[in-house]
Amino acid sequence: MTVGLNAFILIASLLFAIGMLGVLLRKNTLVIYMSLELMLNAVNLALVAFSRYNGTMDGNLFVFFIITVAAAEVAVGLAIIVALFRRRQTVMVDQLNALSR
Amino acid sequence: MTATQSLLVVLLAPLASAAVIAFFCRRFGKLASYISVATAALIFAATIAALRTAGGEAVTMSWNWLSFGDFNVAMGFLFDGVAATMLTMVAFVGFLIHVFSLGYMSEDKARARFFGGLSIFMFSMLGIVLADNLIMIFVFWELVGFSSYMLIGHYLETEEAKAASKKAFIVNRIGDLGFLVGIVYAYWHFGTTNLSEMQGIVAANSELISAGIAMLLACGFIGKSAQFPLHVWLPDAMAGPTPVSALIHAATMVAAGVYFLIRITFLFPVDVLNMIAVLGTAVAVYAGFCAYGQNDIKKILAYSTLSQLGYMAAAFGLGYPGVALFHLITHAFFKALLFLGAGSVIHGCHHEQDIFKMGGLLKKMPITAITFFIGVLALCGVYGLSGFYSKDGILIAAGLGNTPLFVLLTAGAFLTAGYMGRLFWVAFLGEAKSESASHAHESPLTMVVPLIILAVLSVAGGWTGFWPEQLGELIRADLDHLHHAEGYKAMHKNVLIFGSAAWLVGLLASFFFYGKGAREDKLDKVAPPVYGFLKERLWFDEIYNFYVAKIQQRLADLLGFLDVFLIKGVVVRGSAGLVGLVGMCSRALHVGNIHGYVYWFLAGLILLWAVAVGLIG
Repeated sequence: MTVGLNAFILIASLLFAIGMLGVLLRKNTLVIYMSLELMLNAVNLALVAFSRYNGTMDGNLFVFFIITVAAAEVAVGLAIIVALFRRRQTVMVDQLNALSR
Repeated sequence: MTATQSLLVVLLAPLASAAVIAFFCRRFGKLASYISVATAALIFAATIAALRTAGGEAVTMSWNWLSFGDFNVAMGFLFDGVAATMLTMVAFVGFLIHVFSLGYMSEDKARARFFGGLSIFMFSMLGIVLADNLIMIFVFWELVGFSSYMLIGHYLETEEAKAASKKAFIVNRIGDLGFLVGIVYAYWHFGTTNLSEMQGIVAANSELISAGIAMLLACGFIGKSAQFPLHVWLPDAMAGPTPVSALIHAATMVAAGVYFLIRITFLFPVDVLNMIAVLGTAVAVYAGFCAYGQNDIKKILAYSTLSQLGYMAAAFGLGYPGVALFHLITHAFFKALLFLGAGSVIHGCHHEQDIFKMGGLLKKMPITAITFFIGVLALCGVYGLSGFYSKDGILIAAGLGNTPLFVLLTAGAFLTAGYMGRLFWVAFLGEAKSESASHAHESPLTMVVPLIILAVLSVAGGWTGFWPEQLGELIRADLDHLHHAEGYKAMHKNVLIFGSAAWLVGLLASFFFYGKGAREDKLDKVAPPVYGFLKERLWFDEIYNFYVAKIQQRLADLLGFLDVFLIKGVVVRGSAGLVGLVGMCSRALHVGNIHGYVYWFLAGLILLWAVAVGLIG
């Protein structure tokens, strides 16, 4: 029994849904961040699976780009989170709502 | 000095004088008055110089003032016979009135403002006289309107003067609206506003004469010359100082309306001319009636001015602009004399203006009284005096052209003699009827000398044979034209008889009625309704007030409601409100709740996905 494309897409969808729920439901910025990464990697997984299934390199190329951009994004995002924490002593998003005050 | 340079001096000297007074002499009334009078003398000298160097030739010059693309507004001079005649009169009478003001205004607190205003007025008036195109005339037209406003309101601590100045300005504005539209229309029609060019165009193709343009431009004349229905401002304008009444509201500015008509005679088709003739005649008679109901010496003269302007308009409408100009010039002499005489009387009686509180001034102020009487006779058209020639010309023109107008104008002459007689007998004969009149004294030299000079002119101003060669070209031409008209001889006889009868009967009747030192107007006792009717100026002011208060106010209310409701409410507030509403809604989302943002983000994403795969749309 071989592992088919459907299994990969199922896994990717699950990961993506988990990541999305993490983004939606968690209050800790760092966790939201990790959930974002999870969503990105779910998409990466799907892309690699498609690439393998189609026998082309397009999906793999996409994955490299996504990884690169995600790394850059993490560098910037983490820096912002650190700066926020220094200023407000918290990383909980429900306490970082300056607009509502 | 070429003629052009002299004319530039004429035009710019009073402007310079006004500027100097306004910027440097605000506190030095005496100095300001001398500057202004010296300027007036300089204007007169430069006028003479221009006349001599021009030698009867028309002088023209122009330069571009504004250019928008291929549309140019020129400023320029057209110094032809008509302008020369008018300029000489304005410069000379203006100079005399300036000198008179030296004495009359010597006690005034705001002398500098007054003389600065006179200089500004001279500048604007001379601009009208010299202008060679409609736009320039309009610019200076507004300037004389402003000067008039400023000088009527000179005694700005009195309510009356404030109201009168506003009234004069606003009523004139109504006429000027027509004038402005007429200028635009004329430019569109002829492609130029230059007087000579328009004359050339009209001469080449007479079918281009347009009644619309003529009527619109005549609106300006109706406002400035205070013809019906815009006549209500002139009597009120007497709230200003007397020299102003003499200069602006008798001799020059109100006559500028007639002068303007004479300048654009060639634009008038026959039917519009007839309308103006009828209008002028109506005003001549109406104002004659109104003058009976006035007790204020200046208001009587103001109505008299209205009436005489009506005569000028009638002469113009009958097709004799030269005769209108003739009457304008002679009227300027004797009406300026009468106003200055009235000023002298007011000055002597310590600012008493009610003729029924004067009396006995003949003994106390002999020179003023005699010169005033000469003015009265000239105005009545006594044989041989200046008013006789010009008024006769008008009556003959009417007699030859239009019998009903002739009858009305002759009746107007009778009325003229009547109210002037009433004024003279009541104010100068009999006993002094008040404290201030019994202490009257003759005025100082600066006031008496102009009176004497003007009296001489009132007598001799109509003898066109003695006029210098350069002046009165159009007047002579039109009088000649009249002399050679069909039936002139018989009509001339008629006019002599009727005209002389009119002033004789008028003066005598008023003498019998008022000559015994009346303390109040007997007409009030004899026929109160008639008197009230006259006193209230036939209720024109009331009608206008009613109109403005009721009808126009309703309209304004309606428009105001529309403005508030539609424009402000729906369009302005509406558009802003819509944006504001969207803002209100979206503000509710942006409260810093990151999860909320993500929900919306996902909702949008799902929506887009649904559209992309074709579930929606």
